[in-house]
Amino acid sequence: MINISLRVNGRNYELNIEGNERLIDVLRDRLGFKSVKEGCGSGDCGLCIVLMNGKPVHSCMVMGFQAREKEITTVEHLGDEDNLHPIQKAFTDVGAVQCGYCIPAAILVSKHILENHENPTQNDIRWFLRSVLCRCGSYLRFEKAIYEVSQQVR
Amino acid sequence: MSGEEEILRRFSAIEQAREFYIVGKKVARVDSLEAVLGKPIYTGDLVTGDYVFVRAVRSPYPHAKIKKINPEKALNMKEILGVLTHADIPGENDAGSLISDRPLLAVDKVRHYGEAVALVIGSSIESVDEALAKVEVEYHPLPVVTNPIDALKPDAPRVQERGNLITHFKIRKGDVAKGFEKADIIVENTYRTQFMDGMPLETEVAYAIPEENGRITCISSMQNPFDVYNKVVKILGLPAEKIRVIQAATGGGFGPKSDETPIDVAAYACLAALKTRKPVLSVFTREESVTVQCKRHAFIIENKTAATEDGKLVAWKSTLYEDTGAYISKGHLVIARATFHCTGPYEVPNVWADGYCVLTNNTMAGSTRGFGAPQAHFAAEVQMDILAKKLRMDPVELRAKNILIPGSLTATSQKIDDSGLEVCFRKAVEESAWHQRRREYEEFNKRSMYVKRGIGIALLYHGNTLGPEGEDFANVHTRIERDGTVIIQTGLTEYGTGAITSLAIVTAETLGISLKNIRVERPDTSAVTSAGPTVASRTTVIGGQAALDAAKQLRSRLAEVAAQVLEAKPEDLEFKDNRIYIRDSPERGLDFKHVVEKCYEAGVGLEVEGYYIAPATKWDPETGQGEPYNQYTFGALVSEVEVDILTGMVKVLKMTAVYDAGKVINPLGLLAVIEGGSIMGLGHALTEELIHENGIVVTPNLHTYLIPTTAETPLNIQSIAVESPGRIGVFGAKAMGEIPVVLPMASITNALAHAIGVHINETPLKPERILKAIQQNV
Repeated sequence: MINISLRVNGRNYELNIEGNERLIDVLRDRLGFKSVKEGCGSGDCGLCIVLMNGKPVHSCMVMGFQAREKEITTVEHLGDEDNLHPIQKAFTDVGAVQCGYCIPAAILVSKHILENHENPTQNDIRWFLRSVLCRCGSYLRFEKAIYEVSQQVR
Repeated sequence: MSGEEEILRRFSAIEQAREFYIVGKKVARVDSLEAVLGKPIYTGDLVTGDYVFVRAVRSPYPHAKIKKINPEKALNMKEILGVLTHADIPGENDAGSLISDRPLLAVDKVRHYGEAVALVIGSSIESVDEALAKVEVEYHPLPVVTNPIDALKPDAPRVQERGNLITHFKIRKGDVAKGFEKADIIVENTYRTQFMDGMPLETEVAYAIPEENGRITCISSMQNPFDVYNKVVKILGLPAEKIRVIQAATGGGFGPKSDETPIDVAAYACLAALKTRKPVLSVFTREESVTVQCKRHAFIIENKTAATEDGKLVAWKSTLYEDTGAYISKGHLVIARATFHCTGPYEVPNVWADGYCVLTNNTMAGSTRGFGAPQAHFAAEVQMDILAKKLRMDPVELRAKNILIPGSLTATSQKIDDSGLEVCFRKAVEESAWHQRRREYEEFNKRSMYVKRGIGIALLYHGNTLGPEGEDFANVHTRIERDGTVIIQTGLTEYGTGAITSLAIVTAETLGISLKNIRVERPDTSAVTSAGPTVASRTTVIGGQAALDAAKQLRSRLAEVAAQVLEAKPEDLEFKDNRIYIRDSPERGLDFKHVVEKCYEAGVGLEVEGYYIAPATKWDPETGQGEPYNQYTFGALVSEVEVDILTGMVKVLKMTAVYDAGKVINPLGLLAVIEGGSIMGLGHALTEELIHENGIVVTPNLHTYLIPTTAETPLNIQSIAVESPGRIGVFGAKAMGEIPVVLPMASITNALAHAIGVHINETPLKPERILKAIQQNV
């Protein structure tokens, strides 16, 4: 067992974890953040993306102990029913949700884009969102949602 | 005429007027909130407490005799709770979704790579994975057949006990020999399409919970809970009431989740739960899922097409070979749809087609979005382009002379009664500025040495819903709670298409209430009866009719009660904005909720069952002639591409997608379906290829089987909906879920041909194939 402390969605946790536990296992199974999805386990699909110290990482490719002293954000932290985060609202308004399985990852990558690009271009958006596969093909919806939020911010 | 009948008659007048309150308005999906909040709604999110795992031992051979299975070493492992083989199945070893040709666990033979041989149950997933390798299976490899044409030869290895030919589907219209004689020009080509994977991003998963009363509840990811339920009952050999199947939110369907593997994964979990009396999680790895889930069939299609010199089609002969893999799944139905559509949406007086569904030792193919239509349209639409080129005619000009217009007869001699195709075609040509772009790209290609551009078109017709594929019915259970909330429950499922939102929209429209007052319950086999399968793009069209039937019954009951309070006639009442009021004096009305309360007080039941069944379709199995479908969706797709002729890399710049949706029920949902289907089809055209090498799947993951990302997505997809009402759909709606995936292969191939001067008749259009075509064309 390895003892780690980490901060998830604004709360500190101290945990004893196995050496072979991945960050996704820690988040889903130990802490119950089920928005983090596993689609392949090999870093291809991006559904397990979370923000680690603000940057998108594949939580299936990061070992639990590597998240020691890190700050993790999942979609559970963004908003709730009565108070949606602007990205969550935009995703709903533009009709981005189809099967919904990639949506948490796509929202987190969108958040990263918006926080690092004041006025993201189509190229910026596509560059970052390449990391998330959406088989329903909502890519143009994601793009529109990000564009709409960037206009509000301005 | 009774009061109720009179009211219903008035409602149908309202429908005819096509004045809608919420249908066709931009609304958010009923289930999008849970998704954006990341709520735990999928099967894997719902597991809690102490549960165990089950996974299958799978064959490394595509065809082999099983001589012995020895589980001893696995059973000796500390965390292993059991190993099950076919001998441990308490009921019947039958997992075939429609046809009972497929065992859940192999008996004496495996017939495809990855076929399940045994199940290992353990208390940790690590121990189960380790134990899989310790179950010793002794195989004797057998000769393998991996191509449908080889499989039809008399000396080919037999895949099952029966012969390898499963179906010979025929179309015989007019006299093709005469047609070919009369022709000025004949083109003959062979087209090949690859195996593809629907690739829902959530893999197969089921969670089985044994209850104290002996019932097992199975929560799972699937399209057809009743198919899973019926088979699990049979496999476990339990009375039907001892199994309950609930569909959790489902992370993509695309067809594979309507076929075989959802039955497998649920049966594994339920068998293990029966044995251990513990909750069991059964989840496929990505590799496992890609290997064994039903693929899009690989096709070989030979088309021979004859025309007069002014471009009128006179005869068409098609031979289609469909590789359905080692078990039939839905192959016998897919070949019918492919063969029915083999000429594309054109009127041809003489047609002869033979479609063969053939077993091989490849992994199973079954339902995948489009169900044989993408392959048939690829072969037909590239054929039309080649014919246009031979005739020195613009592809648009040739198509204009032959498209199905009102009064035209299809390949099955079914008369077309609406102008959907004409309108889609004209709009696609106009909106894409076809003629101007074509000239511009030709100029561009003269100046540009290494980068070439092109524009291509393809058209479709798509026989709606099940037609020849089964009984086309649905039921929807709707009730109104005392607080005015309307609850819809049905065995039809949501797995991304948005169709369940359409049922809510139809209900809201009829009752004049807002969408937020409607709740849709999860499909549960213990709460509803089967509503037929959620396949064939039929939920909005057919399920919508059942939802309308239920809502009309409720409206009628509410109207009777409201009329008494308002001292008016029920048929004079209007339902709108959560109010029920007198049409001619809107100030005299009641809140919807108030009327519901009055119904409860008066003991008027507000719980109804809506039902609809589409007229049975008729055709002659010997000639294929008749009316196999009740209505057709039409569409046109223009693609613009850029190709680097040094690398063979293709980029799709723009798509103009025009579809005849009959009546748009949910515009935002339709937009996502058109864009998403176009992107999925783009993947089929350019990068996706499920490769079997001698029967062994060598692309079992997302780094070798490449689906589109944002990088491949066209910068612009212009989606246009046309409304040419259908005969059977709710408010005139036509099927749309699958349809946008049908044309990209053909449209992109034709655009690429415009850029490089040669048509490639095999998909995907991968760089090496493109470079070879360019070299051969020089």
